[in-house]
Amino acid sequence: MILASEVLIVGSGAGGAVTAATLARAGRDVVIAEEGPWIDPDAIQPFSLDELAAKYRHRGLAAALGQPGIVYAEGRCVGGSTEINSGLYHRLPPDLADEWRATYAIDEFSPAVLDGYADRIEAELGVSMLPVASPPSSAVLADGAAKLGWRAVEFARVFRYDANGRGTKQTMARTMIPRAVADGARVVPDFRIDRLVTRDGRAVGAKGHRTDPDGHREPVTVTADHVIVCGGAIQTPALLQRSGIRANIGLGLKFHPTIKVAARFPSAFDHDDVPMHRVTEFSPYLTIGGSASRRGQVALALADSGVDYHDALADWENVVVYYAAIRGEGSGRVIAIPGLSAPLVSYRVTDADLSRLARGLVHLGELLLAAGATELYPSIVGGPVVRAPAQLVEWWDALSRSRANLMTVHLTSTVRMGEDRKLTGADSFGRVWGHGNLRVSDASLIPDAPGVNPQAAIMALASRNAEHFLATT
Amino acid sequence: MLWLERRVVASLSENLDHAQRESVAAFVEGCLRSMPELLRFGVAAESVVLGAAPWLRERLGRSEGPSIAARMARWERNPVGPIRQYPRLLSSLVLFATEELVPAGSK
Repeated sequence: MILASEVLIVGSGAGGAVTAATLARAGRDVVIAEEGPWIDPDAIQPFSLDELAAKYRHRGLAAALGQPGIVYAEGRCVGGSTEINSGLYHRLPPDLADEWRATYAIDEFSPAVLDGYADRIEAELGVSMLPVASPPSSAVLADGAAKLGWRAVEFARVFRYDANGRGTKQTMARTMIPRAVADGARVVPDFRIDRLVTRDGRAVGAKGHRTDPDGHREPVTVTADHVIVCGGAIQTPALLQRSGIRANIGLGLKFHPTIKVAARFPSAFDHDDVPMHRVTEFSPYLTIGGSASRRGQVALALADSGVDYHDALADWENVVVYYAAIRGEGSGRVIAIPGLSAPLVSYRVTDADLSRLARGLVHLGELLLAAGATELYPSIVGGPVVRAPAQLVEWWDALSRSRANLMTVHLTSTVRMGEDRKLTGADSFGRVWGHGNLRVSDASLIPDAPGVNPQAAIMALASRNAEHFLATT
Repeated sequence: MLWLERRVVASLSENLDHAQRESVAAFVEGCLRSMPELLRFGVAAESVVLGAAPWLRERLGRSEGPSIAARMARWERNPVGPIRQYPRLLSSLVLFATEELVPAGSK
């Protein structure tokens, strides 16, 4: 199959979908190549085993190698990670935007500029607060913080709510993708781009293959005047490297190393949603929040402690999973390996990061005990189960490189943007150095871990970069 | 799944009925197949190395020696990180599948 387009967009997540909707609305001829399937957002229960199989890359079993290794998750479906995340919405903290603008010499990156794009995105998608009282699993965070005199905030989400308070997550498959299609964009799901085709320093298209439901693979070639890669902080640098583009690509991977605690309470809690409160007392370097807590996730969090958890698991409806996530000083790399479809991902946790994680874990324990938890199981192999504040000090010693079970979801910074060519892989608007018509527009451009869910920053950046594209091509 | 992986999954799900065991094994197999190739190579290499002795013992019809469950308990205490992580990976997959696929109270 051969496809021709003016603009090829690789990836359909927060970056790709916003870019596609903006360009298609302006009348540009857009093809969106998405490696994963196109799934009705209502067809699969959130955070379920079916969702893991259908929408997660590697079924959620990817890990950054290091000591310790860190499990990470990426979406792999039309809508990308917006289909699988919690939908929590945080604008990029203005002090970080100012800091990065100065460090990397990023043009048009002031908080005021970004806020302008964020205003529009929020109005288009529907970013709102829960219109009813927050569920107990979330209120626990506010309650514990209040007892300790800490700040806690209920965050808005990319949700629209009906009169009964029933929410629908405004994923890209529900919003930007249908809008792009209505304006003429073509979405090709199950289509993996193997490499970009470049000629004389310009991208002229891509080669890949489409996989049918029966497993049959068909080679596909796309010709395009412009290529915009939006595959996320792991897949984007891997594709660029596979295409022979390597300068400052795949270096400096950043994310939020996260450690969990399974907290057992005297009574049953809700388990259908993710807590929307976050403890911001220690932000942006440490954030405390809650995770998906279906029976399977509760079991995994309990098992991460490596101690006997069967009594707590039998009582799983009283158990909720919470986390402490840090903005670390460590960083990692993404390296495409010839012949393999998945890149090698590595990450180095520093001693200071480990110390910060231990502090976060102890703060999380303090908060949960203050909120009424009776037993805390940390994600440390052999980490002691804590039942009273005086025992929390044991977690300091227990947290080590060989015993910590860490995970993350917010991956950024593998193709940093800015005008300082020594530090960046692309210019201020995502144009890959040395390739004027090849752009990146996703989490890869964000220069550092933002300390909050990066979806809002990705969408604001993608909107800004798409408008720059329209103004300059 | 390789020989040792099948044995470990069977050992971890032995309290389930046949259909449940099949569902759990299918889930674990799908996960292992979906892993990034480099990670899968590593897990497969461990399966071959760690499984060599019990496989040979079984082929020779010798019943003495530690059970798979006992071997797993030993691997979990091994000072080498990847060996420690091997039983933890398979245990986590079986646990997650069991809790999601099998109704509470029927295990």
